[in-house]
Amino acid sequence: MTVLAGIGFTAPWVLLGLLTLPILWLILRAVPPAPIRRMFPAVTLLLGLKDDESVSDRTPWWLLLLRMLAAAAVIIGLAGPVLNPSRDEIGSGPLLMVLDASWAGATRWPATLDQIDAQLTEAGRAGRTVAILRLTEPETPVFQAAEAWRGHLPGLMPNPWQPTEPQIAQTIAALNSIDGGFDTHWFSDRLDYADHAALVSSLQARGDVVVYQAASRPMAILPAAYQDGLIQLTVQRAGPGPEERVTVLAQGRDPAGTARVLHSVELALEAGNASAQADLALPSELRARITRFEIQGQRSAGAVTLTDDSLRRREVALIAGSLNREGLELLSPLHYLTQVLNPTADFVDGGLTEVLPANPDVIVLSDVAQMSEPEKADLIEWVEQGGLLLRFAGPRMAASDLGRDTEDSLLPARLRSGGRSVGGAMSWGEAKTLAPFPETSPFYGLDIPDDVVVSTQVMAQPDPNLADRVIASLSDGTPLVTRKALGLGQVVLFHVTADAEWSSLPLSGLFVEMLDRLAVASAAKSRQEAQLLGTIWEPVQIMDGFGTLSDAGTLAGVDGVELISGQIGPELRPGLYESGKQKLALNVVSEETQLRPVVWPANMPIKGQEVSTETPLGGLLLSLALILLTVDVIASLALSGRLGLARTTAAALAAFLLVPEGHAQTPEDTEFALAATHELVLAHVLTGDAQVDDIAQAGLRGLVQTLFYRTSVEPADPIGVDLERDELAFFPLLYWPISASQSQPSAEAYVKLNAYLRSGGMILFDTRDADIAGFGASSPNGRKLQQLAGPLNIPALEPIPRDHVLTRTFYLLQDFPGRYSGTEVWVEAAPLDAEQIDGMPFRNLNDNVTPVVIGGNDWAGAWAVDRNGQALLPVGRGYAGERQRELANRFGVNLVMHVLTGNYKSDQVHVPALLDRLGQ
Amino acid sequence: MNAALTLRERSEAEASRLPPLLARAEHLAGTVLLGDHGRRRSGMGDDFWQYRPAQIGDSRRMIDHRRSARGDQQYVREREWQIAQSVMLWVDQGASMRFASDKSLPTKADRARLLGLATSILLVRGGERVGLTGTTLPPRRGNAQIIRLAQAWSEDDQSDYAPPEHRAMIPHARAVFISDFLGPMDEVELALTKAADRGVRGVILQVLDPGEETFPYRGRTIFESVGGSVRHETLKAAELRDRYLQRLAHRKDALTQLCRATGWQMGLHHTGDSAQAALLWIYRALDGGTR
Repeated sequence: MTVLAGIGFTAPWVLLGLLTLPILWLILRAVPPAPIRRMFPAVTLLLGLKDDESVSDRTPWWLLLLRMLAAAAVIIGLAGPVLNPSRDEIGSGPLLMVLDASWAGATRWPATLDQIDAQLTEAGRAGRTVAILRLTEPETPVFQAAEAWRGHLPGLMPNPWQPTEPQIAQTIAALNSIDGGFDTHWFSDRLDYADHAALVSSLQARGDVVVYQAASRPMAILPAAYQDGLIQLTVQRAGPGPEERVTVLAQGRDPAGTARVLHSVELALEAGNASAQADLALPSELRARITRFEIQGQRSAGAVTLTDDSLRRREVALIAGSLNREGLELLSPLHYLTQVLNPTADFVDGGLTEVLPANPDVIVLSDVAQMSEPEKADLIEWVEQGGLLLRFAGPRMAASDLGRDTEDSLLPARLRSGGRSVGGAMSWGEAKTLAPFPETSPFYGLDIPDDVVVSTQVMAQPDPNLADRVIASLSDGTPLVTRKALGLGQVVLFHVTADAEWSSLPLSGLFVEMLDRLAVASAAKSRQEAQLLGTIWEPVQIMDGFGTLSDAGTLAGVDGVELISGQIGPELRPGLYESGKQKLALNVVSEETQLRPVVWPANMPIKGQEVSTETPLGGLLLSLALILLTVDVIASLALSGRLGLARTTAAALAAFLLVPEGHAQTPEDTEFALAATHELVLAHVLTGDAQVDDIAQAGLRGLVQTLFYRTSVEPADPIGVDLERDELAFFPLLYWPISASQSQPSAEAYVKLNAYLRSGGMILFDTRDADIAGFGASSPNGRKLQQLAGPLNIPALEPIPRDHVLTRTFYLLQDFPGRYSGTEVWVEAAPLDAEQIDGMPFRNLNDNVTPVVIGGNDWAGAWAVDRNGQALLPVGRGYAGERQRELANRFGVNLVMHVLTGNYKSDQVHVPALLDRLGQ
Repeated sequence: MNAALTLRERSEAEASRLPPLLARAEHLAGTVLLGDHGRRRSGMGDDFWQYRPAQIGDSRRMIDHRRSARGDQQYVREREWQIAQSVMLWVDQGASMRFASDKSLPTKADRARLLGLATSILLVRGGERVGLTGTTLPPRRGNAQIIRLAQAWSEDDQSDYAPPEHRAMIPHARAVFISDFLGPMDEVELALTKAADRGVRGVILQVLDPGEETFPYRGRTIFESVGGSVRHETLKAAELRDRYLQRLAHRKDALTQLCRATGWQMGLHHTGDSAQAALLWIYRALDGGTR
């Protein structure tokens, strides 16, 4: 190779081609650019016009220079220039490249491959044959041309284990089968392993051995341990070294399901220390989301540790004895439990029979006394398999015969009939406080606030084994919390309710801590060999040498004992294993692993991993020539007028000057919002049918006038809203007249409508066809209504019952006519448990505003007035018609009142009863 | 048999070109509202003009008895003078007209035919007789003539620059010449002087492409006529621009001079402009001339 000024040429004689450049210059100069043919009828006028003599027909000098440069670049490029040509002495004979190829070298794997590539190039130039051997996946070495190996390089991957003893034995056997001597280049990962020395001596016997290894020491993270509410993270390196700082990232999924870094902690490996430890205190919600810890900047299987069940969120099923009534959330017997468990647990919804197959970690029964026999049997079976059953007492349990005479298997203690009540108006004594927790109790050590008092409880029947089962008691010694083991699981009973009716315990922070102790105690499971005996674990995801997880495919299952005691290798791959619902993470590095640095014999040459790469410049120069030629094409076209330069420039300028429109809030939006909110505004949906829209507008105008005159509601002029464009949240009431011709709103509009209904808006659907649609008959508008309302979140409906709050929010009404009367008007159905109480005129119906009112009486038609306040459309005949219009107006007033005041009128009906009870 | 079939096939193909041209011409003509086109003089015609007292020499059968019976005086009913004029058109069919400098522009031939046909439709509606110069299609009235005109104009001439047809001109008729007038000037001069000799007056409309007006060419170029018969090579087209525009202005000037000498009117239309303006101009020019 000829070397000129740091650049070597593989084919220097090609440079002679540069001598032809001056000749090329002369030839190109002589040839003018080719003419372009144009059709031009007015050529007759051009005939005889001579070109000016001074006009040059030659190619301009700069274009010539461009072409010269291109030609020169081609010639030099073909001469094969190489930057930084390597000048090492080159051996001869076959060359064996030995790679540790374990996880420890994965971080530097690309650098290793680069170095191998450089050495292959060198060996290829020297005509040496090469074989590559990976110790973690040994094969009989085959010596081939170096170039043949270069194609295989991208397929060489590190494995997530260290070379095992059988593999070393296999390697030595394979080496012995090779005839003749060879030199060895050993790319080491700096980690020691069994039988290392044997391999070294075996290689040294055959020829020179050179070791290549990087300066940095491999690093690994041990499995995360969870102790006393802290996650313990340990990072280890191969032998003591200088001070180093590493960052450990906790990876997991955020609530949206996106994988991201949830937390990071910095560890300092001090000089002379081989390992460092850090404790991580994370909120349990965050902790439960973590799927893996990894060392930042390290890309190897050892720098990753997977977490399994031990940090997982617990699944809790909450079951209450009484059905929750809509709207009474603060009175719900599960409210406090939900609040406490929400940050740390996932809820399983459903009845007992539905949640049991989901196998939750905890089942909470709040005041459940009666269970069917099969349910009970299933529940016992679930507890015996390790479930935690948490029960709370309550009026039902106190009133039932549960565990009265004999001990119920799902109760820790027998109960006395009726319970007791202390500290009330009708009892002696004060409400009781809690006694300090005994040492045997799981609650031992928790602080008891002074304000936790118990006024009512169910009493445990004294039994010989009761004392062992009490884990918390009141100051007078009566049990408050009892617990018993059942199979692998346990049953815990709080002798008070889960809400604040019987005690103030659920209001205190102590309640949270108690639940935490109980639930945590059941969630952490340690893996013992005895537990795993006989189980088969199926690999779900396996890890490669870089620490990346991939699908396990069809790998065979592994025996449980083998899984925790076996050595990681090709037969037992690290990754996530699953058995039933349990998950187990098998990490490359276990708690017992000690990383030991490799020790080489003193006479062995050791080289670093720096590589001065040769950079061939030929491709670069040829690309430059291509670019120059492209520029030449464009310039030639522009010179000969074939390129519409002016047009292109104009278009480019235009594209440059066009400023993309932003999505900022437009002034129209702001105006609309101001108009809709500066006063109360009723709105109707624009259907696109001008007549219907006009009547709707006039109708709402009439209703506004009526409201203005008769009530304290004083709305502004009504607005027509476009469902696609306008924001709906400003309007308490949307009047939606149905016309058969209106188009279906878009999906985005339905999203808006559903949000509107959820947030307390009301839509009054009016099919306006009560004169033609009878019972059971479907009219075109009725069918249209079904289409339109299909994608809406509409609850179960019923015709307005006689005692619905709509009948008395302002006027007392019994029917709801518009221009037509007769058909039923539908509203949200009352809850199933609404019962009429004796002495009350009305049932206590649903608490909130019905989201929809559906009818066909053409109310807008009856309300409609013109600008002068005169009724627009006739209603009925004569005085009866006017009476009907009046009733229609009253319905409108009631409707708006209902929207604005909700269940206010519904509650007002209790006033006489309340006064009566107060004795006034 | 075979020949007839071929002829049929070709005429179908030709006829298929007709309706769009006709429809567009009708559409264009529809934009001009016909006013009162009477001669404003009493004379032969169908429409009532005035009653005048009967004079000596009036034939008795000319007396309008209905009007006269109202009084003692006798009246003669005069009718408006209406004479159908003959208008002869010549639209350049030469190859030079089949040119458009840009894809978005119509060819000059297309625009010229459209204007010719629209003018014909307007004239026929006004009751005039319309035909072609030369012997192929003498002036006639009626809608059938429009079809014949359209048919005649749907055939292309092969020669590069067609000379104006000046044979068989009806004395004292009107004429409309539409062309780009880029061919030899002698022919135009001959045609116009010959027409002037016969008392034929009319309008010439020069239809030019915007490219011919601006000459936006650069670089080494060979300019060819559409038919390919004439060509001119230049090394720097941009250098020729000024001299070309000078020559074009000269040509327009010559045409104007010729028109002035013969009593014709000259108009200029670019294919980039709206056809309606040109049509209105032709119609006004003809109308003004005939009044």
